[in-house]
Order: sequence, then C-alpha cells, then structure tokens
Amino acid sequence: MKALVAVKRVVDYNVKVRAKADGSDVELNNVKMAINPFCEIAVEEAVRLKEAGTVSEVVVVSVGEKSSQEQIRTALALGADRGIHVEVEGRPEPLEIAKLLKGVVDKEQPQLVILGKQSIDGDNNQTGQMLGALANMGQGTFASEIKVDGDSLQVIREVDGGLQTLKLTLPAIVTTDLRLNEPRYASLPNIMKAKKKPLEVTNPAELGVEVKSHVTQLGVAPPPERAAGIKVEDVAQLVDKLKNEAKVIS
Amino acid sequence: MNLAKPPQAIAAALSALLGRERFLTDSQSLQHYGRDWTRFAAPAPSGVLLPNTIGEIQAIVGLARQNGVKLVPSGGRTGLSGGAMATNGELVLSLERVRKISPVNQAGRSVTCEAGAITAQIQQAAAKEGLMYPVDFASSGSSQIGGNIATNAGGIQVIRYGMTRDWVTGLKVVTGTGELLELNQGLIKNNTGLDFRHLFIGSEGILGVIVEATLALTDPPRNPRVMVLGVRSMAALMQVLASCQAQLSILAFEFFSDLALEKVTAEHSIQPPLQERYPFYALVEFESTSATAETRALEVVEACIAKGWVADAVLSQSESQRRSLWRLREDISETIAQWTPYKNDISTTVQQAPELLRSVDALVSQHYPDLEVVWYGHIGDGNLHLNILKPDGVSVGDFQDRCKGVSAHLFAAVQELRGSISAEHGVGLLKKEFLRFSRTESEIELMRGIKAQFDPDGIFNPGKVFDP
Repeated sequence: MKALVAVKRVVDYNVKVRAKADGSDVELNNVKMAINPFCEIAVEEAVRLKEAGTVSEVVVVSVGEKSSQEQIRTALALGADRGIHVEVEGRPEPLEIAKLLKGVVDKEQPQLVILGKQSIDGDNNQTGQMLGALANMGQGTFASEIKVDGDSLQVIREVDGGLQTLKLTLPAIVTTDLRLNEPRYASLPNIMKAKKKPLEVTNPAELGVEVKSHVTQLGVAPPPERAAGIKVEDVAQLVDKLKNEAKVIS
Repeated sequence: MNLAKPPQAIAAALSALLGRERFLTDSQSLQHYGRDWTRFAAPAPSGVLLPNTIGEIQAIVGLARQNGVKLVPSGGRTGLSGGAMATNGELVLSLERVRKISPVNQAGRSVTCEAGAITAQIQQAAAKEGLMYPVDFASSGSSQIGGNIATNAGGIQVIRYGMTRDWVTGLKVVTGTGELLELNQGLIKNNTGLDFRHLFIGSEGILGVIVEATLALTDPPRNPRVMVLGVRSMAALMQVLASCQAQLSILAFEFFSDLALEKVTAEHSIQPPLQERYPFYALVEFESTSATAETRALEVVEACIAKGWVADAVLSQSESQRRSLWRLREDISETIAQWTPYKNDISTTVQQAPELLRSVDALVSQHYPDLEVVWYGHIGDGNLHLNILKPDGVSVGDFQDRCKGVSAHLFAAVQELRGSISAEHGVGLLKKEFLRFSRTESEIELMRGIKAQFDPDGIFNPGKVFDP
C-alpha cells in the first residue's frame, strides 16, 4: 500500500513572527524555516506504518517555492522513500493546494493520504478536507490514533469532551493532531542517504491546474503591546480599580 | 532550626534604615534566603536585608562593621558549593532589589547592570538590540549577575565564549570598610597597575559585595544547530572533539553518560534521540551559516562514523528540535536532584580529560560498586561533573558521609593530574577542606592577606573558601 504525505514549509515554530514595517506582510527575510509541526507528525506516522509493514512506499509531496525542497529532504531523512515538489511561486491558497494535491493523488493513486490538520502560518485547517471532497475520499480529521485493518482504516479523533472512533474505507485521507505521535530526529546517516533519494519536480501546468487567487491580504499588524502592571497600595484601592478602571467587577 | 537574633543595637538601626518590609527575621524568610541549591547544611541566618540602593548597602556595611556582625552577600542562590549559605547567625545581604539594567550601549557593545539583575533578563536586554551576553547555563532564569561574577560562572558555551571573567569590563564593589570602589570603569584598555576587578571575579563574596557590573556583549551565533552523537568510549569522544574543533565552528561540545540520558528521558517521558543506546553521548552545537557548513558537519560526522568513533547521530532540523536536544543535557542536573546526589565538578586540561574520567571511574567502581553514577559535563573545557545517586532507603547523612570518605581519594586523583577540585562551582563551604588539593598552603595564606586588605574586620562571608 502506498502512502502520500503532504508537507509544508513554514516559519519555524520557535521563531517570533514579526510584521514588516509597512504592515503589508509577515517578515520572512532571514527567518528560520522548518516543516510545519503537524506535517512532521504526518511523515512520522507514515514512516511508522512502513516500519510496521502496513505501507510499502511513502511518497512525500510539497507545494511551494524551490526552497520547499529542503523540507522534502528532511522528510526523506525521516524515512520517506521519494519526494515530489510542485513548484509554485508565492503562497497558494488552501483550495489551490488541494487541487494540486488532487493532481498528485490522481497520478500516484495512494491508498492513504496523510496531512497535517493545519499549517501554523495560515491556520486555515482546510486543505485536507478540500482534498477529501476533490478526490472523493473519506476523511478522518484531527487523528490521535490510526490503525489500518485490511481495506479499511480506523481513526480515533479528538473531539470536544472525548474521543470519536471512525471506520473509513480505503483509499482515505487522515489529518493529524498533536497527540498522534512524537516525531523522531533525523539521523545523520539517513540525512546523507536522503540526498540520494529521488526528488521529482513538477508544476501546476503539468498537473493540469491553473492556480488562482481568491483572497487578497490587506494588512498584517502585531497585537497591541500590553501596558505595564501597577502596584496598588491596599485592598480598597484594588477593589476600586477593578470596579472603575478594569470594570471586571460591579 | 536555630533561630539566632541579630544584636539589639544593629536591629534597631537596620529597622530604621530599611523598615520592616526590607529587614526580615521571620523563620520562613530565614530558611529561604539562608541557603543555596545545596542541601548539606541547615540555614541559620539572623536576618535578611533587602536594600534598594548602593547607598543603603554602604550604610549596612558600616553598621555591620560597627557592631561586629557578619554579612553573607546573596544573589539568586543557585550555587552548588554553599557559597551563599548563612549557617551561623549572619545577616543575609540580598541584592535582589538592586537590579536595574541600563540601556544597552550599541557603540560600545556593552551593558551596565546592578548586581541583582537576573542573568536571563540581561540576555534578553542584549537580544532586543541584536546582541548577546554569551555566558549561559541551566539556572540563568534565576541566577543574578552579581553571583555569576562572584563565582566566575561558566556554563554551556565556555568552549566558544569563555567564562564570566572574560565579559566583565567594569565593576562597582563595596568593600569590608564600606568604601565603594569603581574598578576598570568598562574600559577595554587600562594598564594602570594591579587590576582589582579580577580579584573580585570569583571571590565568592569574601572581599566585599559586587553592586554593579559592566558587561561586554557580542554578536549572537548565526543559525545554531545541534547534533547528538552516540559514542562507545571516552577515547573515541576525544577524537570526535578534535575533529569537530578542527573543522567546524563549534558553539558547544558537551557530553553525558547513558544513565544521565535514561534518567532525563524517563523523567520527562520523551524518546531517546537515537535508536539504540551507547555508553556516552556528545552534544555538539555549531554555526550552520550556509549549505556548505551543514554539508561539512555531515562529512565530519560521517568520517567519525567511518573510523568507528561515532556509532549513530542525529541533527536538529528545526529550532524546536535544537531546543529539545539541548534539554537532554540541560535537564540532567534538575532531574537527578531527587536522588540528592553527591556532586563533583572537577577539571583538568582538555587532553587529560579521558585519563581523569578513567581514574575517577576506577575509584568510584572500587568504592561504590553498588551505586548509580551519572557523568556529564563540558568535555570541550576539560570539565567533568560526577554525580553519585543516593539509593532509596539510605539517609542523606549516611550517604554523604560515605561519599565524603572517598572525596580525598578523588581529589588526590585530580591533584595528580594538576587539575581543579572545583572547575566552575567555586569552593564555598563544601570544598573548603579540599582546597589544598588545588592550591598550595602559601597561596591560601596570600589569599588570607588579600582578604584582610579589603575586609579588615572579616565581616564578609566568613568561613567561605578558607578558614579565617
């Protein structure tokens, strides 16, 4: 069984994101980039399924600029077998990414597609669901545990107040939640091997997709800075401030 | 606890100077401020003083001198040698309210701060201006700069940036006479006789109290990345160190033993970084400024694997992974604290480090075949931390007595290699009786003479480092 995993290049989770001085966008110059954390979990899950003998090949795909190949290489170092880079300039919207992934799905015919539930840059949480609709596949989103059972897939999802268990018919789509697994580190021998693994580069035209833009970003602004705290003299003053300034008690 | 009371005369004067809120004598405060991170002695100060200004500190020293009362200067109290312990009715002179950080001086690449400033806050102030204060260690979120200087703190990036001593360009200190000295005033060049600044760095509070410091700042490293390597022997580890130093821009080279890794991964429920277990691990941090730098790092490690020195290795792929890998090393001390370990902080020249580890290992297995021993340290600096864990069911006192019995053997081994019995933790109370293994009697006598010059009445931190 073949698994397809999508990974996205985003600003490193630990980097403090800043707005550009003119407020037009987020500052991306000289900022450390990494695989989106949820996508990293998706890669780990596919590799574990391969190690367990359930999956025979793990194909990793990324949609983005040429630099996205760094993240594909990382995924290959984690254990994926080959990579596909769909080269696109700029930042395509979730629907466009889903269409491009649909093109790859048509070509690769995977039984299982694993994606992160959302990327930490756009926070859209749309791509997996849209791909499910476009490819006409069942989907298990926010998975915290998955189990392949013959030609079906059991997905445990984290929902408000508990867990929900679903049974999906393969081929199917899974989007990962944080507790699905703890991704491994890339070992140096595997990083070296990954350099020699095949990485195919394609583009929207080859996949028969015309990338369009439906949303225009008008501006980006940092949250207002918090005012410094103050020290009150006594309880009476505290109560007075809470009542009349903060207006949190009446 | 022995609740000593400060003498009546000074108590009244201190109350007048500091008020009730900044002159504490309740038992909880005495416990809290009277000890550092060590647990071998009971705290018993007679009061805690919280001055707001350097002027108040001078007044306190004047009062202490008049009344023959002893003072223990106190910072973040994260020390590991009992240097900030008050066990004998002293007054704790806490610097925690004297903590102003002045704006970073961009042209001079420096920052001036009062002694109570938290190390991490100084680092953050520098980072805001695109600069870095590079002395860093696990306790930087609680430790204060005055204490860092008084112990000449080292930490995890000494191999690249040196010790605290290398970054102090100016000091203000109040001596045992209450006099305020301004030492070196932040100058880079100043060849005008004996430099007292360096006497106060690492003085552990026995000459006076540091009240302000000017620190040099530098550029932060670009794109630091971390590798963790599984290594089969100490000899191999030293070969890896040599290869990395020759070919990479190294920021840190740390090591820890398998038991250290086992304890940390169990405590935090995390996966070990490598698929299999190895006797030792090296954590190497390097600057990866380009794709070529990364390739070179990979080639260096590949060569080490080919030679059989390294069995397996991982490389951080993101800032989160870099931090997680660092935690494997940085969390050791805190993790093993629950076993109230017998700790040692010994050093030798880098080239003799494997020999030191071998001879100490032999000693430990001879005397403690039944006990768990955790090794870690700054191997790139020749600095090893030996930790013997207390087994369940043995009292702390019995365990410490048993360990102390072997200290003399251990320090003799250090002496033989002309190493140090305290590489970065200082002497304080804990190592005092062993000081002669690293320093001669005549050197210690000279230290006494120097103390008498700065603190003629012996009011500052009595009984620390050496006996009066």
